[in-house]
Amino acid sequence: MTGYATTAWYPIAAETDLPFRHVYHAMLLGREMAVWRADDNAINVWENRCLHRGVRLSIGLNEGTELKCQYHGWRYANGTAACTYIPAHPANAPARTIRNRTYRTRTAYGLVWSSLDPIEDFPSFPAIVASEPLALRAIPLNASAAETLAGVCSFDGARQIGPLACESPDALFLIQPVATNRSIIRGVLKHDVAAADRLATLRRYNDLLSALRDRIEAAAIPLPEEAVEIPRLLPAEPLPGGATTSRPAPHRVRVARKWSPAADIVAFSLESIGEPLPDFDAGAHIDVHLPNGLVRQYSLTNAPGDTGAYVIGVKREPDSTGGSSALHEVVREGDLLAISAPHNNFRLARTAKETLLVAGGIGITPLLAMARSLAASGQAFHLHYFVRSPQHAAFRDDLAGFPGKFTVYEALDAAATRSRLAALLVRRPDGGHVYVCGPAPMLEAVRELADKAGWPEDAVHFEYFKNARPIDDSSAFEVALARSALTLRVPAGKTIVDVLRENGVYVSTSCEQGACGTCMTTVLDGVPDHQDVFLSNAEKASGACMMPCVSRAKSARLVLDL
Amino acid sequence: MITLYDYELSGNCYKLRLLMSILGVKYETRSIDFYPGREHKSEWFLKINPLGQLPVLQDDDLVLRDAQAILVYLAARYDHSRLWYPLDNPATLGRIAMWLAFADSVTATASAARLHDGLFYDLDINAARAGAHRLFRILDEHLWFAEREGQNFIATRDHPTIADVACFPYIMLSEEGGIQRQDYPAIRRWGDRFKRTRGFIVMSGIFPTSAAKP
Amino acid sequence: MAWFTARFPPPPADVAMTQLYRPDPTTLNSWHIVGARDELPLGAKCDSRLLGQPIAILRRTPGTVEVSSAGRSLPVLDRFGYVWTSLGIPPADLFAIPEYFESDRRNVNAATFGVHVSAPRAIENFLDMGHFPFVHTGYLGEEPFTEVKDYDVVISENPAEIMATRCRFYQPRPSPTATEGFDVEYVYRVPHPFCSVLYKSSPTDPARMDVIALFLQPIDEEHVNASMLLSVLDDINDNGQIRRFQQTIFAQDKPILENQYPKRLPLDPRAETPIRADKSSIAYRRWLRSQGITYGTIPANT
Repeated sequence: MTGYATTAWYPIAAETDLPFRHVYHAMLLGREMAVWRADDNAINVWENRCLHRGVRLSIGLNEGTELKCQYHGWRYANGTAACTYIPAHPANAPARTIRNRTYRTRTAYGLVWSSLDPIEDFPSFPAIVASEPLALRAIPLNASAAETLAGVCSFDGARQIGPLACESPDALFLIQPVATNRSIIRGVLKHDVAAADRLATLRRYNDLLSALRDRIEAAAIPLPEEAVEIPRLLPAEPLPGGATTSRPAPHRVRVARKWSPAADIVAFSLESIGEPLPDFDAGAHIDVHLPNGLVRQYSLTNAPGDTGAYVIGVKREPDSTGGSSALHEVVREGDLLAISAPHNNFRLARTAKETLLVAGGIGITPLLAMARSLAASGQAFHLHYFVRSPQHAAFRDDLAGFPGKFTVYEALDAAATRSRLAALLVRRPDGGHVYVCGPAPMLEAVRELADKAGWPEDAVHFEYFKNARPIDDSSAFEVALARSALTLRVPAGKTIVDVLRENGVYVSTSCEQGACGTCMTTVLDGVPDHQDVFLSNAEKASGACMMPCVSRAKSARLVLDL
Repeated sequence: MITLYDYELSGNCYKLRLLMSILGVKYETRSIDFYPGREHKSEWFLKINPLGQLPVLQDDDLVLRDAQAILVYLAARYDHSRLWYPLDNPATLGRIAMWLAFADSVTATASAARLHDGLFYDLDINAARAGAHRLFRILDEHLWFAEREGQNFIATRDHPTIADVACFPYIMLSEEGGIQRQDYPAIRRWGDRFKRTRGFIVMSGIFPTSAAKP
Repeated sequence: MAWFTARFPPPPADVAMTQLYRPDPTTLNSWHIVGARDELPLGAKCDSRLLGQPIAILRRTPGTVEVSSAGRSLPVLDRFGYVWTSLGIPPADLFAIPEYFESDRRNVNAATFGVHVSAPRAIENFLDMGHFPFVHTGYLGEEPFTEVKDYDVVISENPAEIMATRCRFYQPRPSPTATEGFDVEYVYRVPHPFCSVLYKSSPTDPARMDVIALFLQPIDEEHVNASMLLSVLDDINDNGQIRRFQQTIFAQDKPILENQYPKRLPLDPRAETPIRADKSSIAYRRWLRSQGITYGTIPANT
């Protein structure tokens, strides 16, 4: 909308417009926004469109830590607006590039403010001296901001003090430019009002402003609706730690808190010192670069969407090669650490009707994240936590968050543990899945008992903390880059795009599922193994192009035009 | 035994399906081919309701037309909590009646717009939309001030009444008639609160909201 | 890309409809549905719009219908119980649905609804399964059975059609008579830019298919009249029951369609984020581009 700076801050809602688990529908300068308050009180102001097919997020569901789209149930995380779950493909992590457009937000004077492109300073209104500024009921008008401003400035002894602000003896009136022929009057009282008088004051102003609105609307002359560009939802730059940089740059965090939630376990709360922490889904882990140069992996215990600080737990290993002892002894609160973005080899599929979580010792960490995730979406689960003794049960306070959904087994010996596991697994609940994390003998026991009780293989999920991904060389191949004079080896378990990025070659991607066509690359030689759904049969047969985000090679070598 | 003469896509019929779900009242459905069959204007149906309108409810020998009237009957007869239509509170009953009449005006405007846009009814669409906006402004103002006094529902503080049931459907379906609710945040919040009522069910065109508590 | 915002008082109805833009040749020279024949009143002229142009439909006798636009007589086709016409030079015939003519078929127009959305968006919604658990909860899908398993899509040239086969989805209540859920198999077919046909195996005779077709009359680039044909093997339910179920399902999609924006379908593959489950939509968007269809779309490179 011409005449109003996109770089300025404007009020778009009142704080009272964002109650628990609600989504507020705002509009500013012709741009629609979905505004919602998360359970941790953070306010999100997002482009009001799901990235999938453009359905308004304002008709979606605020689930406390995530916003869920009404159309296909895509979930977006509090804060980062990253897509964390795509129900049509429950086993696959959404590409890190699927992140909604966010707008900066601030609260002041009882109002929620935002800006399309905040370059200007946040405005201050020293005339508002109230200790608890009272925002008046907002009055939407079918009139342009200019007409509304003119009307307000001739009202109640008001005079204009800014491009969209008027001041009267008792109040400040801010005009929100909604669209070409729509605006909203948001008033704020300058002085404190005694509690007993508040309602009457609000009513008085409401009546006066409503009458003013009627006068302004009656005289309003509609302007032709300006074309508002609906922003293309091109893939957002992923957050630091995301994989489109040439080398995975470590993310720097500060140890905000270090404590011992159980015997021989130390927990850390890691806060970002700059950009917000990348999002993740339950079961994810981070690489922690230790001060002694070692890198170790630790599972995140947080619920998805809880990206204020990462919380990990570290068990002291008696035969530690320096990893756990460094964390236990050397690292202190206030220290800076480098970490990777979260990776997930232990994904929680939300398709289970009932989920069993089985944790042994420090294995509680990823399962705690899963329990939180399942609890947040109201799904049935039970967490079984086996510990050596009551003193070894970590994160007990967090377990109290799911009353009735967890059981702690203390000091069971191997035989007793096994017989308990057998009882848990003896009959698979309809559509049930089990996730296990703990010492190797426990995992083996579960594998055996589940198999004997008839659980299908794909319903039993393990995470081995001693993590070694087997590389199968037989499905590896070579990729030669014609224009970069590079030949790279692509091992099984990694995509061509993964390997390219690790070697500083940038390829534009979006869905990373072979669906959108963004990464289409010309093939100069070799036979591609097409795994995408974008190319037509003819295109695939021609072998002249391929999607490196999912496709591989049938021949030993591919030459790409990169 | 209760029989409901019903059309799936009728907001007025939905009011009764909704209240009966909430109250746990059992009933049989007699579906009427409202569109495109226009069965509600057929000779046999006009004998049941000479106004040729849905819903009609039959409970043994009692035959009632008009959604609001039926809500009164169902609540008075079957609501043992005495909260949906508190017979012992004249002031509340008066308020409820006031908003039942308001709901009728919503039907005449927002529902009419929906019938025009979706089912090609021939009527003054501009007047229908303008009328709906006028009503929504009044309700939004009422709900906004109610919230300031800790009142969560249209006529009552803590527990919804049939006034909320009566106003809910055609307000929530208003977009189908080209009436957006972006300017009515208090109505939008009330809609969320109402959807969290135990026993709440949807109809096509209305979606559930998130649970209030994890 | 102007976007229409709701105004009070609302603008005159015609403002939204005026189209100075001429549809692309493929769209102009196609047959388009304009109504269900037996629902047209006898002897009374009905006004409607096609591709933004006012048209008049007159059912002179039960079996003859005339369509005209600005006084000019338009070609008319009576097929599948509907009236079809064209503002250009249409092909010799419309696409075929052989099942319709089988002697034991029940052919029902479930309903015709006006929807404030572009025709291509509505077709994509019809082809989509991923929304079943969220939009048609308890009928065509239910959480947590949300996975869309891989399926096959073929684009054929002659006739120009898209077929999606091996589509499977777990449905709790897939039809009016179903009492329990099961994995339903679908075949989707797009034989016309604004028409789609769905085949699912008939509960009455599993060797044969029930047919549900969506025919869209493009009123203008952002409005359609959607008609649903049901051609089913069913000697249990009456027409009312068949209609009701289909209307219930469609009315659940309506607010979703009307809350998508831009209303026109963006053809640039980078404008929105498809996933593997969207194979048929991806094919549909590319198919529209390859036929030069721009009506109801935002062409790529805009």
